[in-house]
Amino acid sequence: MPAIEVQRQMLPLLNSPNQGARFYNPDLPETEPFVPGHRTCAGCGPSIQYRMTSKASGDNTILVGPTGCMYVANSSYLCTPYNVPWAHTQIGSAGSFTAGVAAAYEAMIRKGKWKGAYPNIICEAGDGSASDIGLASISGALYRNHDCLIICYDNEQYANTGIQASSRTPYGGMTTFSPPGPMIPEAKKLFPKDLARMMAAGHPHCYVATASVGYPIDLMNKVRKGLNHKGAAYLMVYTPCQKGFVYETPRSIDLGRLVVECGLYPMWEWNPEQREFDYSFRPASMRPVSEYLKLQGRFGHLQAEHIATLQRFANQQWHMMGVELPEPLIRAADAKNLAAMASAEAAAVVAQTV
Amino acid sequence: MATVLGKKKTVRINGCVAAAQAAKYADVDVIAAYPIRPYTATMMALAQMVANGELDAEYIVADSEHSQLSIAHGASSSGARVFTGSSGVGVHFAFELYSPISGSRMPVQMMIADRTLDPPGDFGSEHTDALATRDMGWLMGWSCDAQEAFDNHLMGYRIGEDPRVLLPQMVCQDGFFVSHITSEVDLPDPGQVKEFLPPYKHPYPLDPRHPVSHGPQIMPEQGPPLQLERARAMEGSMPVIEEIHEEFAKIFGRRYDPWIEEFMTDDADVVFFLQGAHAVTGRYAIRHMRERGAKVGLVRLRTFRPYPTDRVREVLSKFKVVGVIETNMGLGSVSSGGSLYAEVCGALYESDRRPLVHSFMAGMGGEAIVLKEFYWMTQKMLEAQKRGKIEKRTHWVGFED
Repeated sequence: MPAIEVQRQMLPLLNSPNQGARFYNPDLPETEPFVPGHRTCAGCGPSIQYRMTSKASGDNTILVGPTGCMYVANSSYLCTPYNVPWAHTQIGSAGSFTAGVAAAYEAMIRKGKWKGAYPNIICEAGDGSASDIGLASISGALYRNHDCLIICYDNEQYANTGIQASSRTPYGGMTTFSPPGPMIPEAKKLFPKDLARMMAAGHPHCYVATASVGYPIDLMNKVRKGLNHKGAAYLMVYTPCQKGFVYETPRSIDLGRLVVECGLYPMWEWNPEQREFDYSFRPASMRPVSEYLKLQGRFGHLQAEHIATLQRFANQQWHMMGVELPEPLIRAADAKNLAAMASAEAAAVVAQTV
Repeated sequence: MATVLGKKKTVRINGCVAAAQAAKYADVDVIAAYPIRPYTATMMALAQMVANGELDAEYIVADSEHSQLSIAHGASSSGARVFTGSSGVGVHFAFELYSPISGSRMPVQMMIADRTLDPPGDFGSEHTDALATRDMGWLMGWSCDAQEAFDNHLMGYRIGEDPRVLLPQMVCQDGFFVSHITSEVDLPDPGQVKEFLPPYKHPYPLDPRHPVSHGPQIMPEQGPPLQLERARAMEGSMPVIEEIHEEFAKIFGRRYDPWIEEFMTDDADVVFFLQGAHAVTGRYAIRHMRERGAKVGLVRLRTFRPYPTDRVREVLSKFKVVGVIETNMGLGSVSSGGSLYAEVCGALYESDRRPLVHSFMAGMGGEAIVLKEFYWMTQKMLEAQKRGKIEKRTHWVGFED
């Protein structure tokens, strides 16, 4: 029996006047593969991302969910919010389980055991899975170029287990594994792993991009570009966590924009054909990191010097993006020009009593 | 390209290649490989078959054993027939996946060519690698030669994929004693395989046209019925295993007792109880001792999970002394020897004619159990029979006079 050629889907890109229509966009697909009724928190960044992503990929989709908050909070037994096939896998198996699904469909379609267009195979891995325990499995799937999209929904911590530091937790971020105290006033001392660039550098044949829930149309288009790319694709999406970041619930999308506007989450695409980064994404405005930090309780302990350290980090990211730094951002990188967070002193007192 | 099978023939191959041949005859869709000795030779053979165009499968070189088993899990969940394998510490690197795979009732097949764990980590065969996973819900049994390995792999798929069973299988063979010893193997006619092994069809695969959720988060009160269901699947596989062995015998002409092979046990007073390749040397030793008048026999367990408790009790109750040859480590266990002893004694507890039971630590580190050691162990059993009680529970063979 001759091998059957595998038919693949091509999804059209959505129009957007400003890279990110904030509210209703008439182009949005009607399909809802991820339906309401799950147990995620109000304003949950990862689940907003989940809805957009699955809307972009449509009904001929298979979702893989390694252990993480999007597993535990979404998929209650006998009551899951998925209108498409979904499977749990182990937190360290993100890339490998997904590779198995992709390989199965390649073989089954080729051998005439399954008839239809090759499904969109999407893995939704949290940053703990993607940057730590499942890193090798994802790297393996990208390296072997299975036709799938691996998404890291990046809420910069292990949220499901009660807010612990991951290697994506930013410098200065307070978690239960990186609390501030007299000996460690800045809380987390390490800078986050540059995960998406690591994936692009190590797997240059893959489509790799960063995105944010603050720019939904851009996010959905990157999902479609990743799915249309024949082979493996990787997307890292900023998805704020109201519980872990400690902010007012309605600000999730605001944070998704602020993090880009303050230079802490550069938005870019890796073009696998030309083998180069596309750094052309420009937010509508640029802001100092303090505007982003002050909205979140996890940074409430930061002193002026820590904020300046983060500003220097953001300025390096702007430099990487090829952006000329305006004078106020250069000044904001000097602690002399900054004040400590309003609650920093109170935080220190509390820490002494523990 | 499609999988090409030749006419029925007899070939000279080792256990590793026999396992690879079985995977080819089963026309597997996805293969997940990662190198570790001694099972590697199986994956080498499969890689060549794929390269030659004899086997149409996705051949994936995984980044670890953990990934191998996850790939196998994902592929099996999607409806593909899957083959994977490992040895020694590799079996343990993948440990996390064994319960999720059996829990989601995916009939993944895993070939194991046993190897010692670290330490000693030498290339020899100890069954500890696979036995440590014994309670994870996988069907498990040992072959003692290449032909039996080939047959067990084919039967494994048929049993595991049976809609009444739906369980993964570890098809084990001793590293080197089976995996690297060449012997004659009958490869069947493709028509026989077609008749015996229908295509894999899971009732609820990950198929976009029939959406299902696999493995959602479970609340404590929802756990017990799921665990009971998995336990029943294991228990319920027993009549299916018997039925399929019978069918295998009819189609291929080779008849195996699915649970236990008895050798020269008819009038035996003392018997060895073991799994796997050392039975081959054991048979030779027993023939020799029989010539010298010792009433000794051998009982070889073919299927370890599900464990044939009643059958073990019935068979072993006929004898005066049983010598369990462990070939595995059960550090600090019931016998402070291997873990097989407790399985044997547990089965015998309900017997009204309990034999005396020894645990023999032999073949450790993957050493061959030589004839002299079989004679020594027989002597210990005969002495126990005469004395009416055992001298001690566990003997480290080769360390005592």
